[in-house]
Amino acid sequence: MSSGIARGRLTEERKSWRKNHPHGFVAKPETLPDGTVNLMVWHCTIPGKAGTDWEGGYFPLTLHFSEDYPSKPPKCKFPQGFFHPNVYPSGTVCLSILNEDSGWRPAITVKQILVGIQDLLDQPNPADPAQTEGYHLFIQAFIPFLFY
Amino acid sequence: MDSEDDMHDANDIESLDDDFYSGETEDAPMDYYSDYDDVADDYFEDADDSDRIESRRPEQNFTILRELDIRQRQEDDITRVSTVLSIPRVSASILLRHYNWSVSKVHDAWFADEEQVRKTVGLLDKPVFQNSNARELTCGICFEMYPRSRVKSAACGHPYCHLCWAGYIGTSINDGPGCLVLRCPDPTCGAAVGQDMINLLASHEDKEKYDRYLLRSYIEDNKKTKWCPAPGCEYAVTFDAGSGNYDVSCLCSYGFCWNCTEEAHRPVDCGTVSKWILKNSAESENMNWILANSKPCPKCKRPIEKNQGCMHMTCTPPCKFEFCWLCLGAWSDHGERTGGFYACNRYEAAKQEGVYDETERRREMAKNSLERYTHYYERWASNQSSRQKALADLHQMQTVHIEKLSDTQCQPESQLKFITEAWLQIVECRRVLKWTYAYGYYLPEHEHAKKQFFEYLQGEAESGLERLHQCAEKELQLFLNADGPSREFNDFRTKLAGLTSVTRNYFENLVRALENGLSDVDSNGAASSKATSSKNAAGSSKGRGGRGKTTIRTSISSRMTDDNHWSCEHCTYANVRSATTCQMCNQQRR
Repeated sequence: MSSGIARGRLTEERKSWRKNHPHGFVAKPETLPDGTVNLMVWHCTIPGKAGTDWEGGYFPLTLHFSEDYPSKPPKCKFPQGFFHPNVYPSGTVCLSILNEDSGWRPAITVKQILVGIQDLLDQPNPADPAQTEGYHLFIQAFIPFLFY
Repeated sequence: MDSEDDMHDANDIESLDDDFYSGETEDAPMDYYSDYDDVADDYFEDADDSDRIESRRPEQNFTILRELDIRQRQEDDITRVSTVLSIPRVSASILLRHYNWSVSKVHDAWFADEEQVRKTVGLLDKPVFQNSNARELTCGICFEMYPRSRVKSAACGHPYCHLCWAGYIGTSINDGPGCLVLRCPDPTCGAAVGQDMINLLASHEDKEKYDRYLLRSYIEDNKKTKWCPAPGCEYAVTFDAGSGNYDVSCLCSYGFCWNCTEEAHRPVDCGTVSKWILKNSAESENMNWILANSKPCPKCKRPIEKNQGCMHMTCTPPCKFEFCWLCLGAWSDHGERTGGFYACNRYEAAKQEGVYDETERRREMAKNSLERYTHYYERWASNQSSRQKALADLHQMQTVHIEKLSDTQCQPESQLKFITEAWLQIVECRRVLKWTYAYGYYLPEHEHAKKQFFEYLQGEAESGLERLHQCAEKELQLFLNADGPSREFNDFRTKLAGLTSVTRNYFENLVRALENGLSDVDSNGAASSKATSSKNAAGSSKGRGGRGKTTIRTSISSRMTDDNHWSCEHCTYANVRSATTCQMCNQQRR
């Protein structure tokens, strides 16, 4: 029943993004080789937040929307092997608002997702690790650094 | 506990009253039942809703709920909260669900800190989102503009169009009972979405599912109610804790234990039952068997059972190791010089040195314990299957035979209730007997007196039950096959009803005795004397269990214990010959 909504909603998302979006962010539906636009996959860029270690970096992210969107959240992927405690080895981001069983609400916008992920970059959530390397490094080095 | 039995008797006489005094009969059964003459206790019965429950348990500390009853109770609770707190019924329902359907908890929490409760549960006083006065609003999900009439919102005021609401609600309902705590689609908003919104916006199918979840929640989230665990049964049970008896029997005729929701298992406690069930299903006995009857291949360690042939073993591919069964050494070291194919000198020599003792002993022990377990398990299982058979027979009796019998014997069906009673008793006894085997298995080996007494009681129970079963099955057959009414039928009635009541008493006493751990047996072996003395039960009947009820009568036929005494059928007291009523319980001599 909600299948009709996905494309309509994404069109609206696109419109509202073009009207107004946070500085430095890029979000754009994929253009297929034949020139048509695929609304279901968006290529985005997240800038590292000013004043953090991530400043100056631009991090590529892909949003994959399903036909159930916005009832179900999009899948958000960094390139494979992205180094962060809350990013799976496949690149998929693990974030509460992107989890359909906990934090996802249909009213969450693309803008909110991207800003949320920007925040996550500098504030990893050690309670929900998604990869071993990043998690161990974070636990061993970063936590003591924060506390002492 | 005293009232328990009185209640039981009262229970009996009440149901019998209906049968025997309503029909115009002047038959013998009157005098059989006349010994239940303490009708005075009847009054207790009227209080509870005995029309809902057909249980033969003396104490009713549970109520079976049909779907209608459940809905009624749920409605009542919601109404109560809604009137006391002056909030809409939907809000009351959300509150109750959050507090596991406990009305008192809702009241406590609400009056302690209403604001906090409202916040956690998501019941907002006023909208947090101010809609502009524009004629069209933007749906927060699909971002389309809609006229006000086509937009809905929860108490918070966040506007969404009907289609998006339906999608949001539908997704949540299809994800499971979590839909009962649904909140507004806005990520920052905690406003609850109640059943009013669901009914307004969801599809017909989704509404039904939601309704189902709400009903289930009332049973499953509530500590005082449970679903009957029988497959396919739709009744629920509400239980008032208090007495130690956890047995519940559902309207579907399934009996289960409230505490562990396993099948009813008196006299055995829940812990023993779970151990026993685990043992029956677990691999532990398989392991024991393997240990007792196989040896591991010396090379690949796979267990091998030797069922025939010589000592030259060849393990199955891919191992193919050839070895000697006795000493487990490589066969290449063997041959004529070690004694040939059927002996092993190396083994004999090493055995004399005591090398194999430890493993042999372990194997032997495993074998013994396995045999012991098998003994109890077989009997447990055979009573289980007899019980199933008896259940089927009972059903057959109720659906076919009673009617037929009523025709041939010219008796109203209500007069034949004693047959059903007998079969119900058989089913119940089989169940008890079955669990006594689990009881016996876990009875400590070293308590010989208890064990002996237990086995005596169990043996008596078994033969008593066999007698009843025999009478209900074989002797009844004669009347089933008869062409017309026979004179002996009344004798049969008296006999079967008598056997039923005797067996019932015996089993109730047995259950009680086992439940208090056969505490009246001291470990010094006094039991055997008690056991034998039960025949002329007068003396010992006073001593046990505080009530004299633990005494077990050997048989109904031992009415006359010796020339000078007769033993009362009701309490087993041995009265002097001249007495016409029992001196202990004032029952008429029969």
